[in-house]
Amino acid sequence: MTTSLHDDIYQLVREPIDIAALARHVRAPEDGATVTFDGFVRNQSHNRPTLYLDYEAYESMALAKMREICAQLHEKYRIRRVAMVHRLGRLEIGETSVFIAVSAPHRAAAFDACRFAIDTLKRTVPIWKKENFEDGAVWADGELPPAPAATSRAKPAS
Amino acid sequence: MVLFFGRLKELIGRAEDSIEITDASTVEQLFALYVARHSELAKYRSSLVASRNQEFAAWDTQLRSGDEVAFLPPVSGG
Repeated sequence: MTTSLHDDIYQLVREPIDIAALARHVRAPEDGATVTFDGFVRNQSHNRPTLYLDYEAYESMALAKMREICAQLHEKYRIRRVAMVHRLGRLEIGETSVFIAVSAPHRAAAFDACRFAIDTLKRTVPIWKKENFEDGAVWADGELPPAPAATSRAKPAS
Repeated sequence: MVLFFGRLKELIGRAEDSIEITDASTVEQLFALYVARHSELAKYRSSLVASRNQEFAAWDTQLRSGDEVAFLPPVSGG
């Protein structure tokens, strides 16, 4: 388990995610709200029945990006603590693949931060999902993370 | 070290390649090296991003010996 300055948790796991424990972890007596996001495996994709999903990650970079998201949340919102866990490997229909909990003294910041966290995770954290169907498997359409178009290096003087 | 993920890993047939990255080559030149070995890779050039040492990197990023470079298809976590 990886924790940070704010006692945040960000983690990649291969076993079922204990969502109740994470929701408890983020709470502090000074808080008044926890907002959680529970992302779980859908039974179909574009009307094709899904059998199960396989998730893989560039683990060291994924953890670094998750840590960056947690840090951004503390900069942007008045929140207490974040728990962000993504599961890897084979997941069955209905199993939680990603869980995020954000606590805060007041609900608005917790809602906003939780939404920002899942949206940013889906766009920037190097994790991939393979959808397995009766007649084969495909890598899910994803989002291309924003990368610098070119380095800002000045051309060397000639 | 060069890493491949998702459909790129399947196309290349391996997750990592311990190629020696020489100084003064770029991410673009490194990718071209793999396109020369696996021509099907070329069509993915516009739909992938690269990273250098776990940070997203521009195609003209200069590489140094010991760098860890990865080619990443569109991400689909969540």
